[in-house]
Amino acid sequence: MSAEPHQEPLPGVEAAGIEGFPGPFAVGRYAREFRDRLRAMSRVCIVGEVVNAKTGGSGANVYFELRDAEGAMRCAMWRNEFERSGMRPEDLRDGVQVVAAGGPDYYTGGANASPSFSFRVADLRLAGEGDLLVKLDRLRRELAAEGLFEPQKLLRRPLLPRAIGVVTAEGSAARRDFLAGLERRSWRGRIVWGYAPVQDKRAAPAIRTAIADLAATGGVDVIVVTRGGGSIADLWAFCDEALCRTVAMLPVPVISAVGHDVDSTLIDDVASVCCSTPTHAAEAAVGVDCAVAGERLRHAARRLDSCGRAAVMRRARELGGLSRAPREHIDRHRRQLHQMAREIRASGRRGIGAQVVWQERVAALVLSRKRDAAAAAAAAEHSRVAARAARLERAAGALAERRTAALAKHTAALFAHDPERTLERGYALLLDESGEPLGSAAAVRDAGAFTARMSDADVRAKVDE
Amino acid sequence: MSTPESYESAVERLEQIIARLDTGQAGLRETLDLCREGKSLIDYAAGELEAVGKGLEELRLDDLIARLEAAAPPQP
Repeated sequence: MSAEPHQEPLPGVEAAGIEGFPGPFAVGRYAREFRDRLRAMSRVCIVGEVVNAKTGGSGANVYFELRDAEGAMRCAMWRNEFERSGMRPEDLRDGVQVVAAGGPDYYTGGANASPSFSFRVADLRLAGEGDLLVKLDRLRRELAAEGLFEPQKLLRRPLLPRAIGVVTAEGSAARRDFLAGLERRSWRGRIVWGYAPVQDKRAAPAIRTAIADLAATGGVDVIVVTRGGGSIADLWAFCDEALCRTVAMLPVPVISAVGHDVDSTLIDDVASVCCSTPTHAAEAAVGVDCAVAGERLRHAARRLDSCGRAAVMRRARELGGLSRAPREHIDRHRRQLHQMAREIRASGRRGIGAQVVWQERVAALVLSRKRDAAAAAAAAEHSRVAARAARLERAAGALAERRTAALAKHTAALFAHDPERTLERGYALLLDESGEPLGSAAAVRDAGAFTARMSDADVRAKVDE
Repeated sequence: MSTPESYESAVERLEQIIARLDTGQAGLRETLDLCREGKSLIDYAAGELEAVGKGLEELRLDDLIARLEAAAPPQP
């Protein structure tokens, strides 16, 4: 930018300049000139970690800062351009690496508004492999695929550890909260502190060494790794691959309590159990309230004692009773047996009487049914006989008629063949002396005399030749 | 009757014993055996509770390692 804007001093403004510096110029105009010159600078892409993003509300702009180890820049982006970029508000989390395209800009402010500088972002995207969250997701998938989330989950975590190893920052709030959690459990055993930095490049190796050493001593039953909340960049040491692999293969159960509820680090995935706060980690490490457990034990001891005494006393009373009155015992059983025998006999008698009555009723019923059946059969037979008699009578009548007719027919035929009928028509039958018919003229000659029988009388005659 | 594997296994077995006794179905011999086992478990669990009830002992990891190294037998 040149040393001075090409502006004239405002009319009516009387201000003496300072030797060696042009002006004075009205600040508003100077600010606009400054803004215009900034806007004339080349548009570029910058990359960095998102911090303090403000994407909520209905303002026209979305604000955030981009940072890296050497510097930072305040960024502003029109909301409609942010939406066009495809980024979601939740993508602009602390620690996310993004690439922003745009250029410097300056808000000139006014009589009642403060000016501000910002990098005006025209487009925005996540920064690929450089993105911590992308890297975390990749690591998470790799470790999960290798099955490294499981071994710690399979370890037995003691309900009441005698010694607890804790990895945290010395003098941290997490340390204080963890002790408070132990106190709530009334636990006062041994704590072995493995102090380590929890937020810089030294953190991950130091935490890994502390955890491995705690396990190697054999002096702790469970290890707790804890620190307070922060951005993903702050918590990145707990996403270290080597650290997480060490934890996964450790023979001692590890409880992680890194960050708050919303923070999710890789050590949470490989640990035996993960907790949201150091206090919760203490309660997870010591699974019982020691004061309550002690009281329960005392109650159990009293219960056992009373059970044992009661059992002995009850058996003793039974034995005493048996030894004092064995005869009474036997008599009682005998009386019970006699009573049972009487009841059995009475029951038998009641059973026989009832059976006889029942059989009589059955027999009467059977006889009645047989009688009715016989009467019905006789009636049916009578009907059949009557029918047959009628049929026979009808048959006999018909037969007599047929016979009478046949007789009349035979009588007529016989009458037709009777010689007497022939004699009645004028013919004569010649009979010899013995009354035998003479059938030929020769026989008449031989007989010489014969009888001519007529229909009305016989006539004696002789042969005349 | 062996030493329990852990505090929680002792408490779990103790609860089983009391539940069995509460049924009233255990005979005299079984009752006496269960009471004897239960008392042994209570002694063990009470010992574990006592071990973490005497007072908080805080050690630095470096001190523990130094203590262990000092107690270790010298290398041949």
